[in-house]
Amino acid sequence: MRVIIFSWEYPPRVVGQLAEYVNGLSALLVKNKVETNVVTFDDAATGFTQEPTGVKTVRLSNPVKTHIGVLTWVLTLNQEVERAAANIYHQAGKEIDLIDVYDWHFIPAAVTLKNGLGIPFVYSVESLEDHRSPASNTPYNMAIKSIEWLGFYEADAISVKSQWMKDEITRIYKVPSEKITVISSSTSSNQGIRDTVKLYKKVAGDRKNER
Amino acid sequence: MKDKLSVMMLSWEFPPRVIGGISPHIYFLSKSLAKQGVKVYVVTCDFPDAPAHEVIDGVEVYRIDSYKNPSPDFATWVYLMNLNMQKETAALTRKIADDIDVFHAHDWLVANAGIGLKHIFRKPLLVTMHSTEMGRRDGLHTTTEKMIHETEAWLTYEAWKVICCSDYMISHVKWAFGLPSDKLVMVPNGVNTHVYEEIQNDLQAFRSKYALPEEKIVLYVGRLVYEKGIHILINAVPKILQKANAKFIIVGSGYMKEQLLNIARSMGLEHKVLFEGFVDDKTLLKLQRCADVSVVPSLFEPFGIVALEAMAAKSPVVASDTGGLSEIIEHDVTGVKVYPNNPDSLAWGITKVLTDDAYRKRIRENAYRRVQERYDWEKIAQRTKSIYEGVLGEYSKSFWA
Repeated sequence: MRVIIFSWEYPPRVVGQLAEYVNGLSALLVKNKVETNVVTFDDAATGFTQEPTGVKTVRLSNPVKTHIGVLTWVLTLNQEVERAAANIYHQAGKEIDLIDVYDWHFIPAAVTLKNGLGIPFVYSVESLEDHRSPASNTPYNMAIKSIEWLGFYEADAISVKSQWMKDEITRIYKVPSEKITVISSSTSSNQGIRDTVKLYKKVAGDRKNER
Repeated sequence: MKDKLSVMMLSWEFPPRVIGGISPHIYFLSKSLAKQGVKVYVVTCDFPDAPAHEVIDGVEVYRIDSYKNPSPDFATWVYLMNLNMQKETAALTRKIADDIDVFHAHDWLVANAGIGLKHIFRKPLLVTMHSTEMGRRDGLHTTTEKMIHETEAWLTYEAWKVICCSDYMISHVKWAFGLPSDKLVMVPNGVNTHVYEEIQNDLQAFRSKYALPEEKIVLYVGRLVYEKGIHILINAVPKILQKANAKFIIVGSGYMKEQLLNIARSMGLEHKVLFEGFVDDKTLLKLQRCADVSVVPSLFEPFGIVALEAMAAKSPVVASDTGGLSEIIEHDVTGVKVYPNNPDSLAWGITKVLTDDAYRKRIRENAYRRVQERYDWEKIAQRTKSIYEGVLGEYSKSFWA
């Protein structure tokens, strides 16, 4: 099984807790015989690296340096994420089982890759714009929400860490609850990583059956 | 290679959505490419009452759901629209079983979509740079302008070939983005001569609304802004009237209108200079057919389509020797070139055309022939097709093929 993880933070670039989480998860996936590629952002140390954990990483910088806001920054960076993922896909003989996307930032790339190349994706939700910016409906917040909505609509499966988040996504975005899987702790228990691999196999298998 | 070349055009405007010059450009280029046996798909933004899919003279047009939520600003909307455009174009390309040989993007407005599709499907990307942010703004002054400029630079970097519509734009784009010369290729803009042929020849009644029978008609078509040099023409009027009897018809509007009206009034020229404002398409075509001379006194001009239109309408052109105009007009052969920003020179050129009937007839005929030879959409489509074929030849030797 071969997967690509999209995360906008990954060591050594640590912004919040997501970087360490993705680092731990990707190492565990390799131990469970899943070939794991991580595509992430780093403006200083760019390029391809084989990590000591066995994870293959691609660190990308933004092709456009001057920006008027987070949205334009994210949307141009997405093109590099898309390019890196397409390169992995073509170099791997067009065999990628799925993409696992952490939060909204790289949803645009995952959506295009799915529509163009038929690679399924899992949307792993850490947080929602509705909670980060409560009761904010400016065009800026609405744009981020529309990208989250697009992710929920296009994703083959949605992964969350708590029943509360599952209920919130169902409440706010009216997503069918059977599309959402709760995996409480992928990195701190054997059960967690087993559930993650199980979800990956289900998504990859469903997609193969469709073809 | 397959027997039929296929291209996916990306443009943010296509008729009936017309915002600037890109829309008619894609319309005529696509139709003419289809006539040359190229399979053309156009993906563009939606428009009220225009169908999501239609076939126009063999061209497959798809109108995508452009981002319709309120956007923080225009530039952010462009990038959000590109997300939808590339998602839908990716799905379409997959549906037609990757039957696309090249992607052809027009301006930074579709940069993200073009770049993304290139890498996903590993097919060459071509771009036509119709303009640049640097040129439009005369420099880069704000964060937005810098961001757009960098997006343009990134697009030209990712493109296999960069097409510009004049040698002037080639050198400008080369300088602005630091591109190697062999990446740039010039294909001129086209003009449709058929629309002028459809105008009836008997325009006496129409003409009499504007000028006396003994008056010649001098026509200016363009925005009334500084860079178009309309004030140079007004200043040249008295000198022309010393030698020839003429009516000056000014079509178009702009921020200089009031100022120009005042100048004309203070010079006592109100009875000779008519400010018509915007006119409808039919009236404009007729005016261009009637004009004894069409004047393009621009101080800055990337291409100068209005000169080509006059040539297609068989109206002799007097233009300032600058930018794209320098290339369109061959002095004394297809028109008259005068010094930019010089009323004396402009008056000399206009007077020469108005007072020498044989000369006027000769440049009019030469100009019309030149338009048919160089600026005919069929010929432009042939050149564009051969650029596609050249790129595909290079591509076939790359590891992407």
